[in-house]
Amino acid sequence: MKNIQFIITMSALLFFGAACTKFVAYDPQEDYQITANDYLKTADDFNKMAIGVYSPLQWLYANPVIGDVASDNAVSGGENATDVVGLQQIDDYQINSNNFYFSEAWKSCYEGINRANYLHENKAKLEFTGKEALFGEVYFLRAYYYFELVRMFGDVPLFAEKRLTATDSRKFARAPKADVYKQIELDLNNAIKVLPAVNTQKGRVTKYAAQALLGKVLLYQNKFDAAAAMLENVVNGPFQLVTNFGDIFLQSGENGPESVFEIQYSNISPFYDWSNPGRGQGNLAVQMCGVRNLAGTSPYGQGWSINLPTKELANAYAAGDKRKAVTILDIEAYKTANPAFNISYLVAPYKNTGLYNQKYHPRKGETSGQVELNYLNNYRTIRYADVLLMAAEANNRATTPNDTKAQGYLNRVRERAFGNKLQNITSTGAALKQAIWDERRLELAMEGDRFFDLVRTGLAATKITGFKANKNEVFPIPQQEVDISGLTQNTGY
Amino acid sequence: MKKILEKFTLLSFLIMLGLTSWSQDKTAAGKVVDPSGLPVSKATILVKGTKAGTSTNEMGMFTLTVPASAKTIVVSSVGFETKEVSIATGMMNIVLDASSSKLDEVVVVGYGVQKVTKVSGAVATVKGSDIEKLKPVRAEDALQGRASGVTVVSNGSPGAKPTVLVRGIPSYTGTDPVVVVDGAIQSLDDFNAINPADIESVNVLKDAATTAIYGVKGGNGVIVVTTKSGRKNQKTEITYNGNYAMQEVMNQIGVLNASEYAAIVNEGSVTSGGSLVFPNLSGLGVGTNWQDQIFKQAPLQSHTVAARGGSEKMSYFLSGGYLAQAGIVGGGEKSFFNRINATSNLIFDLTSKLKFITNTTYTNIKGAGVPENTINSVISNALNFDPTLPVLNNTPNTYGKYSTSKYILSEIINPLTQLEDTYNKNNTSKLYGKLELQYDLLKNLKLSSRFGYTNTDVTGKNFTPLSFYGVSHINSTMNADGTPKPGSHNSVYEYKTNYFNYTFENFANYNFKVGKNHNFETVAGFSMARVTGNSLNGSRQDVPFNSWSFADISSATGIATLSGIDLGSYQYERRNLSYFGRVDYDFNDKYLVSGTLRRDGSFAFGDNNKFANFFSGSLGWVVTQEDFFKVDFIDYLKVRGSYGVTGNENVNPQYQRISTLLYAYGLGQNAGYSFGNEPTSVGATIASFKNDDLKWEEQAQLNAGFDIRFFNNKFSFSGDYFRKDISGLLFTPTLSLYLGTASLPTANIGTTKTSGVDMNLGYTDQLSKNFRISTNITFTKATNLVTETNNGLITGGGYGIPYQSVTRFEKDKAPGYFYGFKTDGLFQSQADVAKHASQPGAQAGDIRYVDINGDGKIDGDDRTDIGNPFPDFTMGWNLSLEYKGFDFNSFVYASVGNEVYRAYERNLAMTNKFRSVLGRWTGSGSTNEATNPRYSFIDANNNTRVSDRYVEDGSFIKIKNLQLGYNFSSAALRKANISKLRIYAQARNAFTFTKYTGFDPEISGGIFDTGIDRGAYPQARSFAIGLDLKF
Repeated sequence: MKNIQFIITMSALLFFGAACTKFVAYDPQEDYQITANDYLKTADDFNKMAIGVYSPLQWLYANPVIGDVASDNAVSGGENATDVVGLQQIDDYQINSNNFYFSEAWKSCYEGINRANYLHENKAKLEFTGKEALFGEVYFLRAYYYFELVRMFGDVPLFAEKRLTATDSRKFARAPKADVYKQIELDLNNAIKVLPAVNTQKGRVTKYAAQALLGKVLLYQNKFDAAAAMLENVVNGPFQLVTNFGDIFLQSGENGPESVFEIQYSNISPFYDWSNPGRGQGNLAVQMCGVRNLAGTSPYGQGWSINLPTKELANAYAAGDKRKAVTILDIEAYKTANPAFNISYLVAPYKNTGLYNQKYHPRKGETSGQVELNYLNNYRTIRYADVLLMAAEANNRATTPNDTKAQGYLNRVRERAFGNKLQNITSTGAALKQAIWDERRLELAMEGDRFFDLVRTGLAATKITGFKANKNEVFPIPQQEVDISGLTQNTGY
Repeated sequence: MKKILEKFTLLSFLIMLGLTSWSQDKTAAGKVVDPSGLPVSKATILVKGTKAGTSTNEMGMFTLTVPASAKTIVVSSVGFETKEVSIATGMMNIVLDASSSKLDEVVVVGYGVQKVTKVSGAVATVKGSDIEKLKPVRAEDALQGRASGVTVVSNGSPGAKPTVLVRGIPSYTGTDPVVVVDGAIQSLDDFNAINPADIESVNVLKDAATTAIYGVKGGNGVIVVTTKSGRKNQKTEITYNGNYAMQEVMNQIGVLNASEYAAIVNEGSVTSGGSLVFPNLSGLGVGTNWQDQIFKQAPLQSHTVAARGGSEKMSYFLSGGYLAQAGIVGGGEKSFFNRINATSNLIFDLTSKLKFITNTTYTNIKGAGVPENTINSVISNALNFDPTLPVLNNTPNTYGKYSTSKYILSEIINPLTQLEDTYNKNNTSKLYGKLELQYDLLKNLKLSSRFGYTNTDVTGKNFTPLSFYGVSHINSTMNADGTPKPGSHNSVYEYKTNYFNYTFENFANYNFKVGKNHNFETVAGFSMARVTGNSLNGSRQDVPFNSWSFADISSATGIATLSGIDLGSYQYERRNLSYFGRVDYDFNDKYLVSGTLRRDGSFAFGDNNKFANFFSGSLGWVVTQEDFFKVDFIDYLKVRGSYGVTGNENVNPQYQRISTLLYAYGLGQNAGYSFGNEPTSVGATIASFKNDDLKWEEQAQLNAGFDIRFFNNKFSFSGDYFRKDISGLLFTPTLSLYLGTASLPTANIGTTKTSGVDMNLGYTDQLSKNFRISTNITFTKATNLVTETNNGLITGGGYGIPYQSVTRFEKDKAPGYFYGFKTDGLFQSQADVAKHASQPGAQAGDIRYVDINGDGKIDGDDRTDIGNPFPDFTMGWNLSLEYKGFDFNSFVYASVGNEVYRAYERNLAMTNKFRSVLGRWTGSGSTNEATNPRYSFIDANNNTRVSDRYVEDGSFIKIKNLQLGYNFSSAALRKANISKLRIYAQARNAFTFTKYTGFDPEISGGIFDTGIDRGAYPQARSFAIGLDLKF
């Protein structure tokens, strides 16, 4: 009897205990923490998440700098050999895999990809008006990030199904470049299908942006026929060349009639974090290229004398080319020409060329908060002039070249540059191809594409001092990633 | 079960037999006395094998009618050895020996009590009487040196929590042992609310065998506190204990006087190319030693009135306590700790089988504090402030009572102004206790249901007035005329926080015998625990009249500043669900076997690891119980061993948090984007990874020990060796970069190893009729090593402006070790500098740093291990002597091998200097001590970088307690019903023997802050008188 009583009591106790297992379950909502479980339930959530996919674009502020410093357009500059070491190494072609700028680009692009993937994997969760167009933006952005990766590093880990979790660490190897390009094309084609031609909110991705990027991507793969066809859509789009070249790079010129796609920066939400300087809303690359200790009443602000144009670039401009003064600021000449500004400055202490990047030079009044971190200058990612030159190249290099069309596109750019038709190009074939390439350099100098154009066109080894063929076409995979994930390193690094 | 029924029957039969044979009774009578011949009242006299008995009267006399067959009586009394006496005719004179042997003592283990003789785990015990002797503010201080295996680093600040480590440092976080008060689970922080005078005993559970029943909470050891309770049928006993002490600072740090200071400042200025700062040294005299100004004599008093007793059906312990401690820094107005306790511990027999226990304590604590052990502490300011200034402000028409410096314009301020401008107070109301039902289902089967709770309400307020520290001082928020500087505001900050914790436990204890010699004690049950906290706080600027009197959010008039949130709140909750069981078996008290199992669920564990299992087993062998063991002088010898696994729950859930921040500082998880010229659009992203595999820190501990008593139980010795292997320490894993920039989860990666020895040697003897001695020595040693951190390290405590980090938790090093440069004397000449590895900025007279990695240059990579703040070993020595009415107690504590990092020296150009600067390098050959480099304002060599220059041996011996008491004993007292009247004089921290040049080498804190002396609050020396009364 007592036995039974005992057993019943103990069983009751144990049962009661077992029933309470959910006592130790945890929902972060208890602590008012919003988690993934609470999200993507409304259209607004999707919109916010899509905005989040844009953010890492801003973190890529240094990529345009790399594109010029690695090329024959610019030198690293800086205060001394130990300032911006990563850029010094790129400039000197002493490139190793422990480079801050590469690992930042790598991480930022993959963050963007993971953010895009997260929306992709949850796409079926909710139907709402504008969903497809919104996903068009998301796929464009994913393509953009992969394109940055593939042109910088070559073969890279490829995943497009879902946001990776901690357990996916070390699971991926590098996918062949071709596969990455395939994914980029797929994403862009999908984006083109659903994106609107015009987006009321400036800076959002449009169908034309996707077409232009796809044209560029095709060009990088030497798919000239497809590129020509794709770019033709944009050439015939609602864009025009801004008459006064210099206006493009002013605040008033942002998201203007020539703009196909721009990475947006702003000084509206000032940022103060020196430990992560590129992660606010401002464009740090602007601060980098300014003249040191610049004082006086000129419209220019001071900066860190990084990314200095070479004399060789300056000399490449023909007389009468209005783009030279817009691209290059010869500070001493400027000082002499404008005594009223009462200019004083510190000669760039390292690798001085006397020249500065005028397109993105800091300008007074265009920053806020911690002044270095908050320049509002958008990065003009794809301009209509760029599209024209890409279309010209694609037509010139197509299976059935259309040099007339190519000349036409090229000369539209040249006519704006010189303000007349006297400088128009009439050559064809290889000479025309070279003319288009030369024009790309002059038109797009200090806009971050030069290195990649030289690699793409096979001219890098001849044009860039220190460039080793079959090695420097791509940058090294960040060493940390090689160590952690066991990725193969690019040849020669 | 059958056996029990049989026993029942047998017992009933015997009782019946006893009843039916009353006609053959005889009488046993006698007197019970203690070894000194004094009568022992209330001693229990039982006929052996029966429940028939009586107790002695006030004169120690008893008379008992016993059955004719009875041969032996058993005499027992608290504090004495139980004695069996053959019944003799006539008056028997029975002398009881004081219970020097601890054979009958019990220790409180998890969910039960165990006789000491049956324990095969490692337990340290501190009795209430030992705590009473020290009369500490917090009971942990009584564990220092008294409980072997426990390292306590005391804190000098009134009422503040000391560092308490049970057997070393397993982790870089959460090393506090769990505290169990009368079965209810609390934390070390809760010791502030316990009146040490209410404590009956403290048992520290150290090894896995004893802590495994607390599972994931047991990893850092368990401190089991048992408070006093009444006994049934006990006459009411009322006690009063009062103690009044005066506290003072023990020593001063050698700083320069005004003339010396002026001379050295001149030298510093001239060597760096400047002019004389003090052209005329005459008339400066000794100036002001600011230490004299801030340290005050401060009273500490405590009073406790308690009553205990019981009737047939209930027993009670009631206690009321008051403690008031004023701080020696700035005196009682600015730093104090006042506590009121009211305790009621009641036990009711609701029925013969059902018992109800309710322990309730209300505590109110009022406190205030001054900045301490930080760079801007009052002590730091007192040490570094300009000694040439007078105490009071003698500049006409300027604001402020105290002087200001025209040279020190940042960071350091007049410590008296600082004290004056320090306004804060806090008020803690705490209600804790338990409600418990015990039901005797069977004779040996007891069911218990216990609800332990702690409710804490803390309210507090800080006021930051507008202040004037000098005309150009950057911290001045006022101009010299007392008007506020533009944009400056005073502000008041208030907070209200509630903590509520409960533990609800249900368990059954079942004890039984199999055969004659197989004894089993078992327990099984489950426990639910919940810890919650929530707080609301706010601040507001512009308090009227810049006055503490009006400092309240309701009276302040300011509006929110642009940048800051002026309202805040937080809340948290932790929940645990646990099942536990233990079996203790012994064969005839000779062979002991014990096994424990606990299954723990925690809200904090990842979904894949919601529950953890912990187990332990122990074996014991009482060698002296063996027939073959015939060593006369050894009375008792037990060999013990245990092994088991416990845990540490210091983890937090890792989930996929959504961030909608425009910028996430320091992380790069921002999700905003600024389209066109629009305001930045709010975006969203997943900002953190989840880790569903997250689990607990796991500690596997091996313990081997023995207990021995010899020479008639006069000597006792216990020794234990332990080894702990800890795994699952939380570190951030290294994950593929292509996962993106969401913040990485923490994962169970790190490991540490700790091993050590605890020893306890006791000697108790009645040397003569009137002279009794009792002494005890403890020894505690633990060696800690970090063995895995995933190539990571945790940098911890540091000091200074700019901040320099000193302590680290790193692989192959001791936890919390000091990390910095090693010095190698001074450069005597420029040639020396040239010969040495490249050390930028160095010149003759500068410190030569060791090129640890041998790469020919001195840089950050040459930093290394330069000290360990934790002692190699600690010892405690307790001595009690009783002679007639006099009693004497002393307690000495020694800590050996602990190093202190001297971080209170600011070394700015115009701050005061320390006396060591007088021995500075003044030319080739003058000195080669790295502590005495040349003196100059310009320190291109950075002689003040973190180096062993600032590391000192902090080993010390402290005479923590000296007490001399006298017990009055007279007929008059007895007539007045006063059973005890004792007065005593006491000195706490009477002497410290140490080489450390600072105030006090005991610097408490977390693992990373222990041993860094940024101007820590020193422990006070105090002299007290006290009175103990018992009715």
